[in-house]
Amino acid sequence: MSKPVIEVKNLEKVYEGAVPVHAVNGISLTITQGEFTALKGPSGCGKTTLLNMLGGLDQPTAGSIAIGGADITTLSENALIDFRLRNIGFVFQAYNLIPVLSAQENVSFIMLLQDRPKEEREARAQQLLEAVGLKGKEDKRPGQLSGGQQQRVAVARALASKPQFVLADEPTANLDSQSTANLLDIMERLNKEEGMTFVFATHDDRVIKKARRIISIEDGKVLSDD
Amino acid sequence: MFKLAWRNIWRNKGRSIITIAAVMFCVIFAVVLRSFQVGVWEHMVGDIVANNFGYLQVHQKGFWADQSLDLSMDETTLDWDAMENVPGVRSLVPRLESFSLVSTGESNRGSLVLGIRPEEELSGLRLTDQLIDGRLFEPASNEVVVSEGLAEYLHVEVGDSLMFLGQGYRGASAFGQFLVSGIAKISNPELNKQLVVLPLETAQWMYNAMGLLTTVVVDLEPNADFAEVKASLEPLLGADFELLDWEQLFPELVQTIEADMAGGQIFVTILYFIISFVLLGTVIMMVSEREREFGILVSIGMRKTTLAAVTVLENLMLLVGGAVVGMAVVKPVQFYFKYNPIDLSGQMKDAIEQFDFEPKLYTTTSFIINLNHGAIVFVIGVLVSSYAVWKIMKLNPVKSMRA
Repeated sequence: MSKPVIEVKNLEKVYEGAVPVHAVNGISLTITQGEFTALKGPSGCGKTTLLNMLGGLDQPTAGSIAIGGADITTLSENALIDFRLRNIGFVFQAYNLIPVLSAQENVSFIMLLQDRPKEEREARAQQLLEAVGLKGKEDKRPGQLSGGQQQRVAVARALASKPQFVLADEPTANLDSQSTANLLDIMERLNKEEGMTFVFATHDDRVIKKARRIISIEDGKVLSDD
Repeated sequence: MFKLAWRNIWRNKGRSIITIAAVMFCVIFAVVLRSFQVGVWEHMVGDIVANNFGYLQVHQKGFWADQSLDLSMDETTLDWDAMENVPGVRSLVPRLESFSLVSTGESNRGSLVLGIRPEEELSGLRLTDQLIDGRLFEPASNEVVVSEGLAEYLHVEVGDSLMFLGQGYRGASAFGQFLVSGIAKISNPELNKQLVVLPLETAQWMYNAMGLLTTVVVDLEPNADFAEVKASLEPLLGADFELLDWEQLFPELVQTIEADMAGGQIFVTILYFIISFVLLGTVIMMVSEREREFGILVSIGMRKTTLAAVTVLENLMLLVGGAVVGMAVVKPVQFYFKYNPIDLSGQMKDAIEQFDFEPKLYTTTSFIINLNHGAIVFVIGVLVSSYAVWKIMKLNPVKSMRA
């Protein structure tokens, strides 16, 4: 049996206001090594909030999140940033690459933050860009790449730090069909060949069809887990 | 990080160029303004102090306050050799100065009478360069050189006679008839209106003050620190003497300089306030435009302190770049107006001459002014950047990514 990568227990997130909103309402789940999991549900169901908390970007109101056995809800802000740097890869809906850096520099950047040697950074960035089908585009800046190509650079960047898992928030929302298919093929291959764990928050059927585990969320609760 | 900061600067070329230009013109304007202000005073102090009165003067105690010949000193009581050997001292210049009524018979004026040895004098009173008519007096002769303004007032020319009437040492009468051998244009307007110069020995004879001096001017080596020389000279003088520096000799000049500099400082401060808000506006826009990017960078693992450092580096590169260009561009301007001062005319000229100042605007070429303003811009850069630092340190990555 694969070892657990993410363990969530009784997770809650309440946004205070005139009427408190329970964005996440008592979710417990475990994600194991090598999963290709989709969190699905309608807009406002709490899947992005859950993803943000799994990535240490948002703090839960109650409950615990253990990544590789370590409870991240008790970490200080800087410790959490360092934890994200070394353990979690992110793919965002709007690609979110650094516009002034080339594709290779975007991928290398995260390794620069990890203080990896220059030679290692360059070699791994080239290897990852080749893996996502962007060989020959290393020197292009984000503005010179299509949306699909930018998202592939984002996937390469997410993998550059050798994370325990990758969180992808609506990664295909801005892509056309062909680009979506290419991106999903790449991520599926990386999952199968390298055992990388992927967790998606999506309501894109094309992604859901590729997922091997689908967790349906509604009103901040797990509706089904297949 | 440097590469990232550098590229961020050029992601919005127009704004960066406008910011650099704003800083550059601010530095140019501030440096030119201060250069003229300091340059005018530097020239005036140089003229009054370095060329005419000296940075240090030795008198009998109380002379400078009373200006009385009775407080003259016997030149043999000074240890000339020891004083001349003090580091920084170039020479010692003996003078006898007093006031007399100078008359042509038809008109007269109270004048400053100065007995000197021209060959030992400061450059402003060697008279060879200042003569506009006639020649220098012969040593120990009954000849005088009259300043241009006084000669005009008395309507005297070279070859005319002047009558002197005054009070000599210890109540003796001081009078004499002297031949005008030359007319000199003294650069200091106040002196130019009232100065008569004659041989030291002749002045001593007229004032019945043989062997006496009112003043020994200490001429300094170039770049010598007058305060250090003063400290070295003081132990060589007894309690009967006073050693005054130029700030003690001309306190009203020091006050005028300080008041004028403070006025200029206020103007420059207002200028920097304006430029600070321009730069703050640029930083606020930059932070606002990049809030989402900041959120991404923190999300993927960049520490806020590192992100803040990159942002500060960007701002400093912009500001220091503008300041350095400004400091370099303004340098030729400083040099040009130092050697080609602006001649004032009309009411401005009259107003300035009323205060006995030369109506010319000089600049200083001192690089200290440029460096000071570069440093001010650096400090403004740090202060303005603190807004970006503050925004980054309180940044919430989830909220920022929604921006």
